[in-house]
Amino acid sequence: MSTDVRVDDSHSTEPAVRTVMVLWFGTILAVFAVMIIFGITMRLEQSQTLEVGIPMFYALMTMHGLGMVGATFSAGLAMIWFITARYAKPNVALMRFSWGVFTLGALGLLAATLVGRFGAGWYALYPLPFQNPTWPQWSIGVAIISLMLLGVSWLVCQLDILRALAGRYGASKLLGWQYFSAAKPTEELPPSVLIVVICAAAGILGTLAGAATFVIYLFKWLAPQTNFDVLLLKNTMFLFGHVIVNLAMYCGIAAVYEFLPSYTKRSWSLNRVTVLAWNTTLIFILGAYFHHLYVDFAQPTALQYAGQILSYLSAIPATAVTVFGVGSQVFGSGLRWTFTPLAFFLGILGWVIGGIAAVVDSTIAINQIFHNTLWVPAHFHTYFLVGFVFIMLGFAHRFVASNAERLATGSLWAMVVGGYGFVLMFYLGGLSSVPRRYANYGALSFGSIAETGAHLALGGAVFAVIFLLGIIGFYVSLAKGRTTTPALK
Amino acid sequence: MASIAGWVTLGATLIVVLVALFVAANARETIPGGPAAIYGVRKYYAGALLLGLLVALGASLPHTPYSALLETEPSMRVDVIGRMWSWEIHQAGDASGGPSPLVLPVGKIVEFAVTSADVNHGFGLYDDGGHLLAQAQAMPGYVNHLRHVFDLPGRYHVVCLEYCGLVHHAMLTELAVQ
Repeated sequence: MSTDVRVDDSHSTEPAVRTVMVLWFGTILAVFAVMIIFGITMRLEQSQTLEVGIPMFYALMTMHGLGMVGATFSAGLAMIWFITARYAKPNVALMRFSWGVFTLGALGLLAATLVGRFGAGWYALYPLPFQNPTWPQWSIGVAIISLMLLGVSWLVCQLDILRALAGRYGASKLLGWQYFSAAKPTEELPPSVLIVVICAAAGILGTLAGAATFVIYLFKWLAPQTNFDVLLLKNTMFLFGHVIVNLAMYCGIAAVYEFLPSYTKRSWSLNRVTVLAWNTTLIFILGAYFHHLYVDFAQPTALQYAGQILSYLSAIPATAVTVFGVGSQVFGSGLRWTFTPLAFFLGILGWVIGGIAAVVDSTIAINQIFHNTLWVPAHFHTYFLVGFVFIMLGFAHRFVASNAERLATGSLWAMVVGGYGFVLMFYLGGLSSVPRRYANYGALSFGSIAETGAHLALGGAVFAVIFLLGIIGFYVSLAKGRTTTPALK
Repeated sequence: MASIAGWVTLGATLIVVLVALFVAANARETIPGGPAAIYGVRKYYAGALLLGLLVALGASLPHTPYSALLETEPSMRVDVIGRMWSWEIHQAGDASGGPSPLVLPVGKIVEFAVTSADVNHGFGLYDDGGHLLAQAQAMPGYVNHLRHVFDLPGRYHVVCLEYCGLVHHAMLTELAVQ
């Protein structure tokens, strides 16, 4: 009986695989930088330091949200596709097709928002996209079709990942249930592969919820006289949105499981606890979205309580398994803090800190006073900006085998300062009851809410500029330091 | 409540950062059996975390807006209709809105029946010092019932807390409580 995990880099180091990964990551890193600039512009507008106008602000807000969610989830998918390529043979041509469709969708969204000023917000709650006279009809259709293109791109990628891994390990083995039988598994399932499977499976369900929603949106656009249930569509939209946002992070976790052991020189294998933890995560992630609807009292009350319980419980497998796993990988391992393990470690730290704020916000009693205040962008920017993004950059640095360690590491510390300063402004805003998604706070002429909001927005912009300088420095390190030797093994 | 949430977040974050610093500081040296030492405390950590979360669930779940203040009939029922980009607020049954400004009672239960005439809005109730007190979504086709007791007389503010289009940030009105 073999327990060999059997990484096979003969496929993942093929030029075609590298080319398609460069296409994906090049696009994602470009989108990411542009979206940061949009974010800085928004914070400057909110502080009334810069004036782009109200329609442009909300168009930028919509594009920033869609762009960041789309880019990070796509980065996550690209990473788990690459991990898949280390163990199995996903279809490179399909991945190229997926990139093309994604790029087309991204261009469509840019046109709808920047040209058409489509500004319904990234989760575009029904019926706002159709009820607003201020953006043209064509921009609504282009936005919906573009979002459907993103969904097609993700679905193709996720289905092919599962197909490839099922071909390699057998479909019945992919969730790791063989670890619960008395007999030792005949072949070890790498922990990263289990997480890849969980991400792809949950991602398919989430993407299908989005597909159903956008088909209805498309129908509404074509037949404006039709009407649909607002609460039902709010549920399907948040099921889609919450799942893909969470999964982006879990895709990053898969990358940490896959690559961190090569730096710590310690094995990381599956056991029953890990299998159970990630299988329950699959359930929790699909039910935790109810916490987005706590202030929709018409939602069945049982689902509200389920939202808090599932949100709380989801913290246990994630921290008890992954955080302890990372800790035990790193502690006393003789690890050299080169860029990638440092970025991974800091990324996990950011994920946990953002997770704490998320659990706090998922408490119904607290959500009453935090919902749609700046506490919400505070927590998700924490686990994205100083969490997932660091893992994504750690992967990119490793992928190009960059030898510009000093520049990359210096840039990372600039991003740590800029990122944590940036999210701190959001947290303080949330604690001060400053609403989110406001072009400016001038109308809030009571208490000190307008002044607080404007000052924190300016502070946020300054820190975001520091983060941007860090990311530019990191991109330069990638360009200058890349080597022809893939450091993938 | 906001300050409790803030302190809990800060406290938990500091603990996590300290643990991370400890692990990072002990990464360079090779410590035989390092993983085993950490794994040994995992079950205690998971148990403590589970216990903490169960206590937090037990303490917080009874305090939800779905069960609050239901034992007594409200002193006043108020209809709230959000529409792009204004609030129509009047005593229940008084569809005209009435020429005189609505005055809500202090220290008594007021029930807001919140709905929308067009898109999703957020009925956010602020005191005059800028503190968010309570909120409910305003949805077309649904009525959300929010009960609240105003502890102090004075001026209160209704702020839209769900993005609803280009004038969202100025969709405000005032309430008087005496």
